Amino acid sequence: MVQAVARRLGVFLLTALVASVVVFLLLSVLPGDPARVQLGLEASAADVARLRAELGLDRPLPVRYLTWVTGLLQGDLGISLATRTPVAPQVMAALGVSLLLVTTAMVIAVVLALPIGVVTAQRRHRLDGIVLAGVTQLGVAVPNFLLGLLLVALFAVRLGWFPAGGWPAAGSGPGAVVPYLVLPALALGLVRAAILARYTRAAVIDVEREPFLRTARAGGLTATQALWRHGVRHALVPVVTVTGVEFSALIIGAVVIENVFVLPGMGSLLLRSVANRDLIAVQAVVMVIVLLVLVVNLLVDVVHTLIDPRLRGTS
Amino acid sequence: MGSRSGSVRRLRRALGVLLLGCGLGLAGCATDPGAGQGVDPQAATLGLTAAPAGLDLTTTGGAAIVQALLGNVYQGLVGLDETGAIQPLLATDWQISPDGLRYTFTLREGVTFHDGTPLTAEAVAASIEHIPSWSANSPSQLAAIDHVEIDSPHQVTLILADPDFDVLYRLAGPLGIILSPAALADPSALTSTAIGTGPFLLESYQVGTRLVLARNPDYWGTPAASPQVVLRYFADPSAAVNAIRTGGVDALYGAEAYDLLVSLAERDDLAIATGATQGVVVVTMNTTRDDGDTPLADPLVRWALTRAVDKKAVVEVATAGLGTVLPSPALPGDPYGLDPDAPDLPDLSYNPDAARALLAQAGVRDLDLTFTVPNRPYAQAVAQVLQAQFAEVGVRVRLVTQEFPAVWVQQTMGNRSFDLTVVNHVETRSLWGYADPGYYWSYDSAAARGLFDRARAATDQAGYAAAVSDAVALIVADAPGIWLYSPPNVVVTRPGVSGVPLDDLGVGIDLSRLRVA
Repeated sequence: MVQAVARRLGVFLLTALVASVVVFLLLSVLPGDPARVQLGLEASAADVARLRAELGLDRPLPVRYLTWVTGLLQGDLGISLATRTPVAPQVMAALGVSLLLVTTAMVIAVVLALPIGVVTAQRRHRLDGIVLAGVTQLGVAVPNFLLGLLLVALFAVRLGWFPAGGWPAAGSGPGAVVPYLVLPALALGLVRAAILARYTRAAVIDVEREPFLRTARAGGLTATQALWRHGVRHALVPVVTVTGVEFSALIIGAVVIENVFVLPGMGSLLLRSVANRDLIAVQAVVMVIVLLVLVVNLLVDVVHTLIDPRLRGTS
Repeated sequence: MGSRSGSVRRLRRALGVLLLGCGLGLAGCATDPGAGQGVDPQAATLGLTAAPAGLDLTTTGGAAIVQALLGNVYQGLVGLDETGAIQPLLATDWQISPDGLRYTFTLREGVTFHDGTPLTAEAVAASIEHIPSWSANSPSQLAAIDHVEIDSPHQVTLILADPDFDVLYRLAGPLGIILSPAALADPSALTSTAIGTGPFLLESYQVGTRLVLARNPDYWGTPAASPQVVLRYFADPSAAVNAIRTGGVDALYGAEAYDLLVSLAERDDLAIATGATQGVVVVTMNTTRDDGDTPLADPLVRWALTRAVDKKAVVEVATAGLGTVLPSPALPGDPYGLDPDAPDLPDLSYNPDAARALLAQAGVRDLDLTFTVPNRPYAQAVAQVLQAQFAEVGVRVRLVTQEFPAVWVQQTMGNRSFDLTVVNHVETRSLWGYADPGYYWSYDSAAARGLFDRARAATDQAGYAAAVSDAVALIVADAPGIWLYSPPNVVVTRPGVSGVPLDDLGVGIDLSRLRVA
């Protein structure tokens, strides 16, 4: 057990270290000088050189890397090259928005996808099951930004039930977020639900072929009882994996939805920071995402062992 | 039964882990920095496009931060009125010595900074002498100022090393803002605060999202009409349009989704008006390629390309016809311009046949040019129209898209390995770039530089404007670029909203009269 934890921790640290080097190197070859971008087209070479020195961009790469990593180890994400203020509050604020959006969307997705997936698997030879499966297939094909635009056109512009976009001002209270969250979370969640429902359906169909279900039915359960009592939990293993992967991917992958709904999340922050060549902010965002992905993977493993007792013996 | 309840329990535990994740998400949201007060019910909300990268005008370039803070939070000795004329602001009047080397300003009395410190001659002198340590907003434009003399508690004199009539205009821009003694003592404070003398206090800035201004209760002049003004930034033009349709903002300033705006115009409860901007969309023809000779060094070829361009068609495609066609690098609102009767001015009007004849006269066949295009919608639209128009006269153009500004600045502006490029220059009085042979416009004319020097040495507006106008005529005849159009400043307002300025003068947006009935 201790060995397993130590190994996991080692992998965690190694991944973080490799990620930090890769991120840093990739950004250093990215064309575009942060000082020049910041000062605009008519800035003189002397002004640009002075700002480069002020920002510490004239120091050699290894020195810049070490400064950044030692700061990181002390929990200091650095000072933004663009705003000249600490990056951490910006990243945390954006992370809060993204986590809330993605979590809500994933809850919507899971709550819809599990029953739909099971039902479409069970009833795959009947008309209603085929129609429902067709609807999920259609849902997979709809880009979430298109769904977002349609939701805005209907519920914000036509009906006026929700704001078309934006995010409440800081300090407006937790309840103020709800109306701003509904449409983007639906736009993201409904499409994810369709994808997840397809996975669930496939997993359930696979499970139905397992010998243990035949045994359960032989023991006197109906097909439906056997499926719900023994099969669904088995089918959940791949579904949880997909959910975990999707969750990580969406933290930044929701950038298009963030754009449509003007949400100040991680995707927007990353896009803006790259455009401004705010390398410190980009590094911070990517490192936070890396850590988040590692944590989510850990959680997925934990959930796996909770669902599937067979996995417990291995650790 | 026992095994069933066990599995339910384990499923509950699994769900518990998932819910814990959700809880973490909520907790993350609660850690919002700089939590300020809520939104004032009488607040006016203005939607804008590009967001400021940072708050510090001394290190942050770009129009966005100037638009938000100049005039509203920070003020200079002089300012621009809505026609672009220079008016008294923190100075009540000024005199320029006949040699153009001494600018004496009488300071307004009873003015205090937002932190309560009074505006004194010492504060003004310190702020102006601090300009050379700026890196953004081109401090070299005020390099002529040598030092500042304090004549009395309410009078200062700027001593110039060389005459430069543009000093007064530049003092009305971002470089001229009077920073508080506290900010000068600790310049790092400029990144998170803005202590000026203007009608608004900076309340908060959520980077890239919203900037909140609150009415300054102790303002020396007419107080702001709204108790609070919220500036909201929209990277996506259609999101901005949705916001005004649903009341998320009271007005849009500099709206860019021109085709969407046409559909908005059909909704009679929204008012749409078009003003001017300081933008000059110019196609630069590079005469000095780093990697060898170029046919563009021949003025006949540049004239040919100019005559191949139908600017009206470009404006139609790029701005839905809302932009203003430009005959020269000067804007209609500038104090100078192109005199159509200037001597030696070639006919450069749109005429494909004449363009083909000029190419034949230059002995150029099968011209094949590289056109580097910023990845901005206007530039992409312009480049595609021009590609078709150049093809009409037998010139092939290869379009290369570059990320703007980061990559474009490095590879097009820096390396000079392009033939054609197009940029909307939003810097005020950008035509002064033609006085600098080192600029990417690669315009090197001793005669034009002489005229620019004459303009600098002027001591009155008429002498200044006459000299620059002569330079403009020279530049147009030499055709280092094709000046296409000036983009429109589209202002959309909801019913009951008033006081949004129409023209973008390249300084701050005057928000002091903005109000929602």
